[in-house]
Amino acid sequence: MMEIVQKSSPHLRRPNARVIRMMRDVAIALMPLVVFAIYSHGLSALWILLAAVGSMVVTEYVYYVIQDKINDGKFQLNNPSFSLYNYSVIVSGLIYGLILPDKIPIQVVIIGGVVGVLLAKLIFGGLGQNIFNIAGFARIFAALSFGAMLGYSNHVDADAGATVLGVLAQNPFSDGVLENYSLWTMFSGLGMPGSIGETSALLILVGGLYMFLRKSFDVYVPLVVMGTVAVLSAAVMLATDGVGWWFVGTQLFSGGLMFGAVYMATDPITIPVTRPGRIYFAFGVGLLTFVIRLFGTYPEGVVFAIVIMNMFVPAIDYAKWSKNTFSLKSGLIFGAVAVISVIGVVVGASYVG
Amino acid sequence: MISKAKRVSDYKQLTKQLPSVRYVDPEFVYLTLMNNRCTDYTLEVEEGDSVKVGEILGEKCGSFFETPVYSTVSGTVEGVVKKLDQNGLEVDCLKIRNNFKDETHESITDRPDAFIKAMSKEDIVDIVKEKALVGLGGAAFPSYIKLNTDEAIHTVVINAVECEPYLSSDYRLIMDQPEQIFKGLIYIMQTVSAPKGVIAVKKTKKALIEVLERECERYKDYDIKIAKVKDYYPQGWENATFKEAVGIKVPVGELPMKYGLLGFNVSTCASIYEAIKHNMPITKRYLTINGDAVNFPQDIRVRVGTSIRELIKLCDGYKEDINKLEVIIGGPMMGVALPSDDAIVTETTTSVLILKSTEYKEEPCVRCGSCVYSCPVDITPVSIMNAVKRNDKKSVELLEANKCIECGLCAYVCTSKIHVTDYVRKGKNLIG
Repeated sequence: MMEIVQKSSPHLRRPNARVIRMMRDVAIALMPLVVFAIYSHGLSALWILLAAVGSMVVTEYVYYVIQDKINDGKFQLNNPSFSLYNYSVIVSGLIYGLILPDKIPIQVVIIGGVVGVLLAKLIFGGLGQNIFNIAGFARIFAALSFGAMLGYSNHVDADAGATVLGVLAQNPFSDGVLENYSLWTMFSGLGMPGSIGETSALLILVGGLYMFLRKSFDVYVPLVVMGTVAVLSAAVMLATDGVGWWFVGTQLFSGGLMFGAVYMATDPITIPVTRPGRIYFAFGVGLLTFVIRLFGTYPEGVVFAIVIMNMFVPAIDYAKWSKNTFSLKSGLIFGAVAVISVIGVVVGASYVG
Repeated sequence: MISKAKRVSDYKQLTKQLPSVRYVDPEFVYLTLMNNRCTDYTLEVEEGDSVKVGEILGEKCGSFFETPVYSTVSGTVEGVVKKLDQNGLEVDCLKIRNNFKDETHESITDRPDAFIKAMSKEDIVDIVKEKALVGLGGAAFPSYIKLNTDEAIHTVVINAVECEPYLSSDYRLIMDQPEQIFKGLIYIMQTVSAPKGVIAVKKTKKALIEVLERECERYKDYDIKIAKVKDYYPQGWENATFKEAVGIKVPVGELPMKYGLLGFNVSTCASIYEAIKHNMPITKRYLTINGDAVNFPQDIRVRVGTSIRELIKLCDGYKEDINKLEVIIGGPMMGVALPSDDAIVTETTTSVLILKSTEYKEEPCVRCGSCVYSCPVDITPVSIMNAVKRNDKKSVELLEANKCIECGLCAYVCTSKIHVTDYVRKGKNLIG
């Protein structure tokens, strides 16, 4: 029987706007990196990735089973809160796995995954409610709690070989790194030590290009993150004697910068909603990354930078000043902050060398 | 998809190339005696009286102003019945039986061109007021108020953009009667002493541009230009049209007259021509019947007051395999869904859409920002939605929810299929 129903406008919806499409695109864009990780690190990479994805999926599943029990409901796989169906938890798990070093013990991966998804996502209310980037939070938890077993301690690096940033952390302006690894090695990731998925800048760019063409992420974010690091490193290079263009190249292609910029800083849930807000956020990520790399004790800063900037998202999105368009005033303030940051970093760098 | 929605799927191809069907002689017409501005009415005719086309039947009374009701057919009055109007409200309608003679009332006489040329602003405003002309794009803003502006107007913009999907009634109007639009525009320019006239059309509508440019050749004495605007939604929104067609940005909430601009919908322009030249109120209009749940979508030239149920029958009725459908007056983005199809065509009814009703599964918001990128008035629908959910009146105010024009893009683009527009509407109500 035909029935006339009454709804409020609009009566049309964009045909291919779906969360599942967006998340699946990220998962697809990560695939080259997964293959490359397994190719260059062997089965251990596979186990790490399986443990990372598995721990997150299982934790979320158990959490919702318990929650539905408390709410007198029966858990079903198509439960809208359980984000396996739209790949979101898989994407978090994959990203988490790809930013881990290859010699990490599996139990650390699992503990990090469980705690990460539980504390960064589920207790905030699940998909869409999390404040921190889940993968980044899990990675930081693992790094801070089990520092001796992963990351950049000599324990691991002795086996994996010194990473570029490990060398740079000792002496930021020594071009000695180039003797071990050429810029091409850093760009392609072939034979580079480091976290299992971060090494190949080339494949990361391929994945980013795919997501850009599918409009599944905001391309301004990675561009601004990388642009900020490029500008800051170029400024430092020009201000410091005996540092060549290789410095900019190493900053861009080494460590997790590319990966973090393309896959983590673009996670829409944990970044501001307006385009100006996203650009401020990305600038903050780039600045913090560079500052941590240059001045911090940790050689790597992208994940920290992203999680720190996640905390500023509610402030950036605050109703009083969050605007959808750039105005002269916001542009001037942003420009002033950018100039002060560059000057600050350059002055600071003169004390480091 | 995290991107600005520039275009919405169009669907005009279903109807726009078809010639408009003439269906000007229904057996009964129903003339609305009330609308959302006028809640009361007086009648000058009684049951059994015979009336002629263009005869005054009564008056709609409201707090704002009175508008006469004109007969759109000749025939006999059959009493007052209740029908749905274009806003989905049940209103009193005067039922008139058509005698198919189409006799016009003696007041309907042509004015000679020389006479019109000599008419003053007040004369024309009076005619427009007397003939109860309103904006036919859907908003039904009384045209005489616009024409009676005291501001110096430099450009009159005729909005023929028709950016809503599925709609092609304005398209057919221009294809069939380009001359009326030019003459109407010239009358408007004369009234407000504007030196320039602009007709804004989508640049993808090649056939329309051809017709209008050919017509433009004939009116070389006047400074009339065809502005080709981009094929975006909501380009037909007055402020967007002004920005594209004449390059003047009118801030949301301010009157375009302040900036020397006056905008009219293309059907309004044609109705002004009819009123001034032939002293004729709006009796007929172009109407699109379209949608994926109707058998034979087409454009129809109808008498105002025709029953929509009858018109749907004329289009071969609803598709049979569909259980749930929506009957929408206006476009799919901003139109009003009716509770039933027992409605009538009023002078502001641009289209009737019959769409398959789809249940969208709502997912949690992932803050992708598509609604923010797409918003034509540059507000942040997602933040407004969150503020409405926690009943945060202050934030809704700070986020300028009152700027919203309810174009529907935020819900259209939503990756999670959330009805964002509804939340923004609630926000607007919240701050009053």
